[in-house]
Amino acid sequence: MEGSVTTNIALVGNPNTGKTSLFNQLTGLKQKVGNYPGITVDKKVGVCKISEDFTAEIIDLPGTYSINPTTLDETIVLETLLNKDNESHPSLVIVVAEVENLKRNLLLFSQIKDLQIPTILVINMADQMERKGISIDIEQLKTELKTEVILISSRKKTGIETLKRKIENYKNWNTEPIASTADRIDKDFFNTIREDFSEMSLYKAWLLITQQKYCSFLTEEQKVKIGKLKSDKVKIKKYQHKETIFRYQRINEILKKVYKVDRSQATDLRSKLDRVLTHKVFGYVIFAVVLFTIFQSIFEWASLPMDYIDGLFADFSELVKTNFPAGKFTDLIAEGVIPGIGGVIIFIPQIAILFMFISALEETGYMSRVVFLMDKIMRKFGMSGKSIIPLVSGTACAIPAVMASRNISSWKERLITILVVPFTTCSARLPVYAILIALVIPDKRIFGIFNLQGLTLMALYLLGFGAAIISAILLHKILKIENKSLFVIEMPNYKIPSIKNVFYEVVEKTKAFIFGAGKIILALSIVLWFLASNGPSSFKNAEADVTLQEQNSGLNSEELQKKIASYKLEHSYIGYMGKTIEPVIKPMGYDWKIGIALISSFAAREVFVGALATIYSVQSDGNNVGTIKERMAAEVNSIGEKRFDLPTGISLLLFYAFAMQCVGTLAIVKRETKSWKWPLLQLVSMGALAYICAFAAFNLLS
Amino acid sequence: MGDTIASLKIGEKGVIDDFSLDAIPLSLLEMGCLPGKEVRLIQIAPFLDPLYIKVNGSHLAIRKEMAGQINITKI
Amino acid sequence: MQNILVYIALGLAIAFLIRKYFFSNKKGSCDIDCDC
Repeated sequence: MEGSVTTNIALVGNPNTGKTSLFNQLTGLKQKVGNYPGITVDKKVGVCKISEDFTAEIIDLPGTYSINPTTLDETIVLETLLNKDNESHPSLVIVVAEVENLKRNLLLFSQIKDLQIPTILVINMADQMERKGISIDIEQLKTELKTEVILISSRKKTGIETLKRKIENYKNWNTEPIASTADRIDKDFFNTIREDFSEMSLYKAWLLITQQKYCSFLTEEQKVKIGKLKSDKVKIKKYQHKETIFRYQRINEILKKVYKVDRSQATDLRSKLDRVLTHKVFGYVIFAVVLFTIFQSIFEWASLPMDYIDGLFADFSELVKTNFPAGKFTDLIAEGVIPGIGGVIIFIPQIAILFMFISALEETGYMSRVVFLMDKIMRKFGMSGKSIIPLVSGTACAIPAVMASRNISSWKERLITILVVPFTTCSARLPVYAILIALVIPDKRIFGIFNLQGLTLMALYLLGFGAAIISAILLHKILKIENKSLFVIEMPNYKIPSIKNVFYEVVEKTKAFIFGAGKIILALSIVLWFLASNGPSSFKNAEADVTLQEQNSGLNSEELQKKIASYKLEHSYIGYMGKTIEPVIKPMGYDWKIGIALISSFAAREVFVGALATIYSVQSDGNNVGTIKERMAAEVNSIGEKRFDLPTGISLLLFYAFAMQCVGTLAIVKRETKSWKWPLLQLVSMGALAYICAFAAFNLLS
Repeated sequence: MGDTIASLKIGEKGVIDDFSLDAIPLSLLEMGCLPGKEVRLIQIAPFLDPLYIKVNGSHLAIRKEMAGQINITKI
Repeated sequence: MQNILVYIALGLAIAFLIRKYFFSNKKGSCDIDCDC
C-alpha cells in the first residue's frame, strides 16, 4: 500500500481478559493462523488499519500471567518481546487488563513496561465496573504508571476508536520503567548487570539471566556474562521471589490511590454458580449431562449436512466424468481427488459442532470448573485435569485434540495425554462402525428398550475411552520422566460467551483439521487411486487375457466386463499388496479384498467403506447395483459362506477401534513431541493391540 | 503454627507466612500468592484435591501438595 | 497428455508425503524453556 508503513503491534494480557475479543475487534476477518518456526504454537496475526497512513500487523500473543513462561505457549511471549531480530518483535505493545483482576494484570503490565518498549494499558470490561462496584481514577493511574490508559469494552465495542487514536502517537510514549525493584534487592549485583548490559533495559537483562536456558539470540559474549551472574542459583531464585514481591508492593501502592471497590454493590453470582457446578455429586452429574448433550447434538445436527456433502461430491464426481475428456487424468480427478477431498470435507459439520460447544463452554468459564473436578481422577491416570479437553475433543478428531494439550505444563502429563488421545472414538471411525454394525448386529431390542445396535455403538465408544485410560495408567507407571507439577489454574468469573469469539475459534480449529489431515488424505488418495488403477503386465493385458479365457464359456458382454474388472483389481498393484498381506490378516478373518480396504484406510479410516464400495462396484464394473451394504451382505468367500459374518464383523470393529491408522495424527504427534519415537510407539503398540483383539475375537466367535 | 493452606476448612481464612523457595514455583507468586496476603478456601474438589482458593483478589485452584507447602496463620 | 498429468500429480503427492515425514523442522530449535 503506497504511503503506509506496516508496524508490528503485540497484544498481550492474562487469559480471560477479553484480549481475543479485542483482537477480533481490531482485525475483523483479516486474520490468519500460521506457525512459529521450530515451535508448535499457532501464530495469530491480523491486519488493522489504525489510520489513513498507518496500517499495523497485530500479533495476538498467547495469554500469560507473567512474562516468565510456564508452558510452551508462554515462551512465545518472552521470545517475541525480548528478541529484537524476531520477525514479530513489536514496535509497541498493547497490554490488556480487566477491571476485576487489575492487580494481577498489572504484574504483567509492569514487566512489559520495564522492558522499555512503548506500551499502552487497555482496561477491558469497563461496562462491568458499575455492576461490580468498582471505580478507577484513570488520570491518576496514567500518572503513576507513566502510561496511557484506555477503558474499553470489547463486548460493547466502546473505546476502540480512542485506542486507535492513541496508538497513532506511539512514538511519543514514555518508556521509563516503573517498578524500581532492583535497588531494594541487591544494589551491587544489579549495578553489575547494568554495566554488563548497558545496551538494554535492566529488567530485560534480568530476564535473560533468570531464564532456565540461554535464549538463542544471545551472543557468545553475552552468554559468558550471564553464566557468571547466574552461577549462584540459590541467590538468583531468592532474588526472583523478592523481585516479584517488591513488584506487587509497588502495584499495591498505586492501586490504593486509584482503585476502589464497594463490595455492597457487587452481585455474587459466581459463588452461587460455583457451589452447584463444583458440588461433590451435582458437579459430576451436570458435567455428564453436558457431555451427553454435546454428543447427542453432534449426531443429530451433523447428519443432514453430512448427507448433503456426500451427495454433492458424488454428483461432482459424476459431472467431471461425463464432461471432461475421457482418460486417466479425468479418472484420477473423478475417482481419486474428488472423493479424497470429499472425505475430508464431510467431517467438518461434526468437528465444527464439537468445537463450537467446547469453545462456548470455555468462554463461559465453565471449563475451568470441569478441570477442577476432573484433576484428581485424571492424575490417577498420569494425566492432568486439563487433559479432559483433548480427550473430549478426540471424539471429533484427534488432530486438534492433540494440539489442545499444549496448555498442560507438566511434560509427562502432556505426553501421556497426546499418546492416548487417538484411542478415543473419532468421527472417522463412525462410518466404519455404522456399516459393520448394520451388517452383523441384529436390529433387535433387548429388555424391550435397548436397541442392540445402539448398545454396540456405545460399547465401542466406552472401549475407546477405556483403552485410553488403561494405556495412560500403564504409561504413567512405565515412563521414567520427572513429573513436576506446577498446576495452577485461574477460576475466571462466569460470563456469557461471545458468539464472534466462538465463531473465530471454530474456524481456527476446523482449519487445523482440514490442513492437518486434508493435505495428507488428498496425497494418499492420489497414490492409492494410482495403485488401484494400474498394475504390472498382467493388469495391462487383463482385457485380452480374460476375453481369451472366457471365449468358450458363453458369457454375455455384461458378465464379461465384470470378470475383466474383477481380474483387473486382483492384478493391480493394490491387489498384489492385498494378496501379500492376506496370510497376515487371514487369522483375523479377512481376505485380500478387505486387505485392500485396510491399506486404503491409512489415508483416512472412513476410506474403508469407500474402498469396499470401489472393490465391489469395480467388480460389477461400476453399475452401482444395490447399496454398499447389500453388496457386502451378498459377498461370499471361496466356500460359499458369508464374508461379513459376526466373527469377521466384530473382528473388524475391534481392529478399527484400536489400530493407529490415521497418518494425519501420526504427523501431528511427531510435531508436538518433536520426535519420531512417540508416533512410532503409538503405531506399533496400537497395531499390536488391534491385531491381538481382532484375532482373539474372530477365533473365539467362530 | 503448623497450618498450611491445605489445613483450611471451606470458608476459613488465613494470612500467608513465608514459604520455602524450593517448594513454591515462581508462577504461584506471580499469580498473587504472596506472604502477608489473605487466603480463603472457597471449595474443595471431590477426592479432596485440588483446592479452590481466593488469594490476593485472584480466584485460583491449586493441588493439595502445593497447598500443603504454603504456611499460613489462621484468622 | 492425460497420462503425463497423472504422473505429475502422482509425483507431487509422493514428494509431499516424503517431505512431511522425513523433513523435520530444523528451523530454530528450542529457544527458551522447552519442557523437554
